[in-house]
Amino acid sequence: MSLFLQIIANGILLGGLYALMALGLALVWGVLNIVNLAHGAFIMLGAYVAFYLFTLLHLDPFAALPLCMASLFVFGYCLQRYVLNLIVRAPMFNTLLITFGFDVVLTYLAQITFSADFRVVNPSYAGANFTLFGVTLPLVRVLAFAMALALTLAVWLILARTPVGRAVRACAQNLLAARLYGVDPRTVYGLTFGLGAALAGAAGDLYAVVSQINPYIGDPLTAKSFAISIIGGLENPLGVVVGGLFLGILESLTSLYVGSTYTDVVSFGVLVLVLIARPQGLLGKTT
Amino acid sequence: MKRLLFCAVAALALLDFAYAEPTITLGASVQMTGRLANTGRYYRDGYEFAVQTINDRGGVKVGGERYQLALKILDNQSDVNLSVRQYTQLLTQDKVNFLLGPFASDFALADSSAAEKYEVPMIEGGGASDQIFSRGYKFIFGTLPVASKYFESTVQAMSKLEPAPKAVALLYADDAFDVAVAKGTRERMQADGFRITQDERYSSNASDFSSLISQMKAAGPDAVLVAGHETEVLNFIRQAKSLNFSPKLYSFTVGVPTADFRNALGHDANFAFGMTSWLPSASLKDDYFTNAQEFAQSYQKKFGYEPDYHAASAVADVEAFVKAIEAAGTLDPKKVRDAIAKVDFESLYGRVQFNAEGQINLPQVVVQVLNDGVVPIYGQKGFQNKPVYPMPPWEKRP
Repeated sequence: MSLFLQIIANGILLGGLYALMALGLALVWGVLNIVNLAHGAFIMLGAYVAFYLFTLLHLDPFAALPLCMASLFVFGYCLQRYVLNLIVRAPMFNTLLITFGFDVVLTYLAQITFSADFRVVNPSYAGANFTLFGVTLPLVRVLAFAMALALTLAVWLILARTPVGRAVRACAQNLLAARLYGVDPRTVYGLTFGLGAALAGAAGDLYAVVSQINPYIGDPLTAKSFAISIIGGLENPLGVVVGGLFLGILESLTSLYVGSTYTDVVSFGVLVLVLIARPQGLLGKTT
Repeated sequence: MKRLLFCAVAALALLDFAYAEPTITLGASVQMTGRLANTGRYYRDGYEFAVQTINDRGGVKVGGERYQLALKILDNQSDVNLSVRQYTQLLTQDKVNFLLGPFASDFALADSSAAEKYEVPMIEGGGASDQIFSRGYKFIFGTLPVASKYFESTVQAMSKLEPAPKAVALLYADDAFDVAVAKGTRERMQADGFRITQDERYSSNASDFSSLISQMKAAGPDAVLVAGHETEVLNFIRQAKSLNFSPKLYSFTVGVPTADFRNALGHDANFAFGMTSWLPSASLKDDYFTNAQEFAQSYQKKFGYEPDYHAASAVADVEAFVKAIEAAGTLDPKKVRDAIAKVDFESLYGRVQFNAEGQINLPQVVVQVLNDGVVPIYGQKGFQNKPVYPMPPWEKRP
């Protein structure tokens, strides 16, 4: 029984990490209708920023979070404003192509700049854990889970309560009407994409502590984030948390009852099932 | 005037051609970028260093004439399909004389088919899987010891420990090399009377082992053997720490002897067991590099990082070609292939000799990370140093 509880706990914490990774992608996709195939590369860059801040300035990864997010925000904003804006109203295929191109360019630039050596961020508390009801909980994963919830709530609050958030939602719902109300879509799109990149940066920071970094970690993470966004639904930021938790628990259980080698089969199998049975996602509204 | 100039240039060009060194070109497709680039670089640098050093020492003597070695390396971006296409290109368009192998069994498995099809010998130092050598191919030779025997020294050492571990968990990634390691290890452990509590295959590039670690914690094996890739082993150790899992012994097929692995983990790497078929010892003498210790020092100076058995294996590949070509006295691929099958020489990598299937026979030395350094524990002649067994649990580590 306690093994089962431990597996569920592992799944929940893994789900939190997944949700954090997928948040940025879901936001940008849901609002701007841009599927950012370079999302994993942004996570990778955030991880490297955290790594260099830790190694050169001895900055704790949690203290470095605002810096990671800010630097990736600026990067994302500029990328959207000056490059993606050129094709934002073009067919979907063009955005896929361009973001794919970013992914390749960023990955190989990272290889040239940082080399393929794998790095880790290893603060003194990286292995710390505590036990609750017979279940061992790694400290960093619990913090990552808390971070995921906090950021999701923050994103939801920004979108729902602030003027900027209203402008973003207005652009997503009806661009012409929004412009008539004086919203500048270029700024709004830039801010949204920047926010998506900042969230990826935060995910990268924590990923560096939990796992290891090399220039090629991006692609599998993009694929996972993609699956989670679809499973959870794009309408609501909370959908990402639900999608992430669902996938995390499912993968943990698969590893226990079926076999560790089948986790990817199950994850992407569920994706296919959701697309067939409930394409708007678990939390999406049926229109 | 113009005519005179033209004639002069033509004459110079002809002269240059007449003095051109005859060369033997070795072609290779190596992972210089992509997810395996971290290990692929040992092969690129090992091949280059070997070719350069051999050329400096006079090159290759083929039937009375001196030849220089040339290297044509392509980057396969860690993509197996591209690697096969590149080897085909090297053979059909670039018309290289002989082939050097890539890193990783998956790659060697596919690429060796190109060598076999075009009947040009390939010596690879990066693929250990028995699958590569069990197809009856004549043109593939390997300088990594047989995968199924990787854990053999470790299992032998385990039976001699006091108190000997009884229950063992076996984890392996789902690629050609690790599956072969697991198969051989499983058979060996069953023969030696160990109880296997877990025999789990996991997806390559898995970054999350929490489920497997939790299951092992519940089952409580004395020893854990993991056959996987460096990044997976790194994640495993870090997650074992964060889930507070500490068996009496854990041993990994890769990673432990490598410097940047130990740098990444810091003190957490301590007490981990691993294996290597090569240590930079001065007793391994070599015709071109003096000995393995000298080689390691000059390699580090030249490339800026420590070599490990991958680099030594790459050098052994080039040297094996040189010895075979000199013995055959010709560049004919089939005759050189027969000569490779018969080579037997001492090098900085150890004794290079291929068995009937084409694989080298080198025993693995069991090593343990102690005080942030690699200590050889158990070799062919038994225990060389005392291991720390059982491993102290995480909270009791110094």
